[in-house]
Amino acid sequence: MRSRTAAVALAATITLAATAACAPAQSGGSAAADDVQDGTLRVWLFSEVTQDPKEQVVDEAVAEFEADHEGVEVEVEYIPVDARSERFTGAFNDPSSAPDVAEIGNTDLAGFVDAGGLMDVTDAIADWDEGADIDPAVLATTEIDGASYAVPWYIGVRALYYRTDVFDELGLQPPASLAELEETARTVRAARPELVGIATGGAAQFAFLPYIWAHGGEIARQDADGAWTGTLDSAEAREGVAAYARLLGDDICPAQTCAEWGGNASVQEFVAGNAAMTIGGDFNRRAVDESAVGDRYAVVPLPGVEEGSIAPAFGGGNHLAVLSSTERRTLATEFVQLLAGKRYQQAMFDAMGNIPVFTDVQADVAEQVPAIAPFVETLAAGTAFVPVTPAWSTVDAQGVLPTMVQTVATGAADVEMATADATAALDAAFGAQ
Amino acid sequence: MSAPVVARRRPRVGADVVAVLVAGVVAFPLYWMLLSALKPTTELMSGDALPYTLHPTLDAFARVLSVENVGRYLLNSVLVAAVAVPGAMICAFFAAVALTRYRFRLRTTLLVTVLVAQMVPVEALTIPLFFLFRSFGAVVPELGLNHLGSLMLVHIAFSTPFAIWMLRGFVAAVPEEVEEAARLDGASGPRFVRSILFPLVAPGLVAVSIFGFISTWNDFLYPRTFIISAQENQTLPLAILNFFKPDQNDWGAIMAGSVIMTLPVLVFFVFVQRHLVSGLAGAVKG
Amino acid sequence: MTATHAALPAAGGATLPAAGGAPRPPRPLLSRRGRGTTTWARRWEPRFYLVPAVVVLGGLLAYPLYQLVVVSLYDYRQANVSGSAPLRFIGLQNYARLLGDEAFWTVLGNTVVFAGACVVATLAVGGALALLATRLRPWSRTVLFLASLGAWATPAMTGSAVWLFLFDPTLGFVNQTLTAIGLDGFAGHSWTYDKWSAFALVGAEIVWCSFPFVMVTLYAGIIGVPTEIQEAARLDGASTWRIALSIVAPILRPVLAIVTIQSIIWDFKVFTQIYVMTGGGGIAGQNLVLNVYSYQQAFAASQYGLGSAVGVITTLLLMVVTLAYLRALRRQGEEL
Repeated sequence: MRSRTAAVALAATITLAATAACAPAQSGGSAAADDVQDGTLRVWLFSEVTQDPKEQVVDEAVAEFEADHEGVEVEVEYIPVDARSERFTGAFNDPSSAPDVAEIGNTDLAGFVDAGGLMDVTDAIADWDEGADIDPAVLATTEIDGASYAVPWYIGVRALYYRTDVFDELGLQPPASLAELEETARTVRAARPELVGIATGGAAQFAFLPYIWAHGGEIARQDADGAWTGTLDSAEAREGVAAYARLLGDDICPAQTCAEWGGNASVQEFVAGNAAMTIGGDFNRRAVDESAVGDRYAVVPLPGVEEGSIAPAFGGGNHLAVLSSTERRTLATEFVQLLAGKRYQQAMFDAMGNIPVFTDVQADVAEQVPAIAPFVETLAAGTAFVPVTPAWSTVDAQGVLPTMVQTVATGAADVEMATADATAALDAAFGAQ
Repeated sequence: MSAPVVARRRPRVGADVVAVLVAGVVAFPLYWMLLSALKPTTELMSGDALPYTLHPTLDAFARVLSVENVGRYLLNSVLVAAVAVPGAMICAFFAAVALTRYRFRLRTTLLVTVLVAQMVPVEALTIPLFFLFRSFGAVVPELGLNHLGSLMLVHIAFSTPFAIWMLRGFVAAVPEEVEEAARLDGASGPRFVRSILFPLVAPGLVAVSIFGFISTWNDFLYPRTFIISAQENQTLPLAILNFFKPDQNDWGAIMAGSVIMTLPVLVFFVFVQRHLVSGLAGAVKG
Repeated sequence: MTATHAALPAAGGATLPAAGGAPRPPRPLLSRRGRGTTTWARRWEPRFYLVPAVVVLGGLLAYPLYQLVVVSLYDYRQANVSGSAPLRFIGLQNYARLLGDEAFWTVLGNTVVFAGACVVATLAVGGALALLATRLRPWSRTVLFLASLGAWATPAMTGSAVWLFLFDPTLGFVNQTLTAIGLDGFAGHSWTYDKWSAFALVGAEIVWCSFPFVMVTLYAGIIGVPTEIQEAARLDGASTWRIALSIVAPILRPVLAIVTIQSIIWDFKVFTQIYVMTGGGGIAGQNLVLNVYSYQQAFAASQYGLGSAVGVITTLLLMVVTLAYLRALRRQGEEL
């Protein structure tokens, strides 16, 4: 019996050793030495709900670029946002199939840089005459260890949408603090039970994060040596979680339906006329405008804890990046500078309503279009961001934040327990790096 | 040929009624899919889920068909299926012959391996297969990533184990006497397999091929993983996937796309229906 | 087709592979025919026939499976894949991490219960309808089969979407109908809020798209049962019920074995339906099953080593379940 066990152990060891000897594949260095000046430049952009306006602007830029660069053809593919991680993974792993330029979400950046997929464009921004006007807070979201890996293209920031007709009918004022918001939402639901007080969901993490930040909490903290530690179990963060979870109650937005909503589903409810308020982005404005409630809504910054303050919003947005495997470094950089330049950011604003990243262009468009004033005001009040670490993609994929909110909202756990679990999950993800 | 006794009972109206009711329930989601594809967008998004529409429109179909290159996607899907399904059937047929009409060492081991091969979650295999095909691509570009060849090979591999498993029955059903007779007539083993066994098993092959066809036709995981940037090599499911949008899915187009995708399979089925049942029974029934 | 008819007079009652009990291979011809000039060929024939399948399966399934096991022993994340971080062999740490994770065991439990229920329900529905189908006139049978095949042919992604659509809390046809007939409690009722209600809904969709396989195969099996045997039994005075039980059922057992094993394999590996219908695992991950869990925890998060470990565990689990079932069959005298 003993010898048999020993034999099994030996066999297992040999197997392990044998498999260890044959390691899994690695792509190896992907930086291309070439800098070709002609041929096809492949570009990935995200597909949009209403894609035509975006396509028109991009087509214009492409035509201009092709006219300026003889022998160059720009091929643009619109990829679904939801499928982007697989597409990019594939591109990083097989450089020969990768595009030269790509649009990326700002939360993707750290992970993509860690994967070695993006080219350092610090110099390209420094040498660029328009580079100096980029909002420094936005530029910071492109930086890892002091180097920029993308050019910011536009900003996504959320604010509070509300129904003017409902508020007028009930004699309500737009809330000036988070406590007032909760009270207002409750009043609406009591008076108009067919509406939810505020449409917001357990999985709408960018609507939820301002609650943490407004209460003085943070997702995680970075110490001097760069290591991250989860801080969702701090007293401040717990207050924020509790306040947000109170919105997901029968008297405001019943957990039965609201717990599973993400940000888009929440806005969708507002668009469908089922909600008195919602936390939506500047990028949702067009959809609301075109809906049945399009002429009966207004937007204010999401208030903070103090009366009259503004809650720090999540500084969302997309960048244009050059992939490190490109064989057309110069062309790719020039194309990024064109499409992310002031002229085309203005054009993108006109077409899509995306807020530009240049401070001067921002001021211009706020003057031209008063409707975006609340968003610009929110930006000016200061935004916050998720931890800039490759581990964030893990946290995101594992749904740590939605799970925390949902367990509290559904009563499966109390705030203490849920935040402790979430903090442990964060630390596990950070520690695995 | 008379029906078996269990099935012998005079057909009763009651059974027919039950069958039609069940068929109605089963078909209802399909009806809803078609209905949603035909409803105008405003009606689809309004609060009333009416089981009919007074304003049918082909807008959603037009949206799907106006996707750039959709004809190319369709062609690609057909090409992949046209190579992968027969390829898998050839592999499976010969393997089934070897595994059922011969006894040799490792026979049971191989059978169990075939079974185990089906148990691996395909989602987990994307990574090793990705690197495998990257290596293929370095030698023969047409079989590498970004090319249809990779999808064809992958689906041959995925369809074969189940096909072997199902085909064993048909191959075994051909009585030994037939083989004896063939041999007495001087037919060699390969000749028997080719000229006698193959035609006899053909209905079964057709029946079994529908499984491979459905899985190959509907797959979107592998095209999405393997066809990295070559738009001209994408397949039909990816065209539909494009209508799953970040802020608002275009349900009309998704349903229209699904109808378009389901139709060829249904046609294929109607075409092989008799073979399917007779094939699966491992027998030749008129 | 007609040629086939002519070629097969000997098949007589048209039989299922298993007419004699199990799909037993014909007697080994090699030993019977003894030695002759063809011996060498006879011995090598099956090996030649196996070549295409072995090449394809060995290269495209076995080798990647081996790679999967290898990857599961490494710390293998996106940075390691693209070569910007060194590979690190970590032995069984990925497995240790999983087995030490409470959430993993919950997911495993979910998977076993959920998949088990789906298998039973699929077999019950498919079996009942197969029996029903034998009593139908051709036209109604065609209607039933056509509807079923439609369900079968629908891509999993859109099938899930349609079901979700039908059961939408406010916009869904089901709730609106239930409310209209006076069940006001269903106004705005969410079918995916409660864990088991969500599982039931997903399970219904899975049964919907997988019973046709069971139904068609069993139906084919039933009509393939030799008439003569049944006639003989009937002449001996056996009741229909008795014939069904003691003659048809045993003959069907191998077919049943096939559909059971296939259902087990498919339902344990369910991915799309859960992913689409519960939004990636339900509220606070209450509806996670192994395959979705592995995708979410590992592949979407680019932790391939960990994800591969879950893949290996899923495969092992399926092997255990299937082999246990095969053993039970063998004890009853069946054979592969």
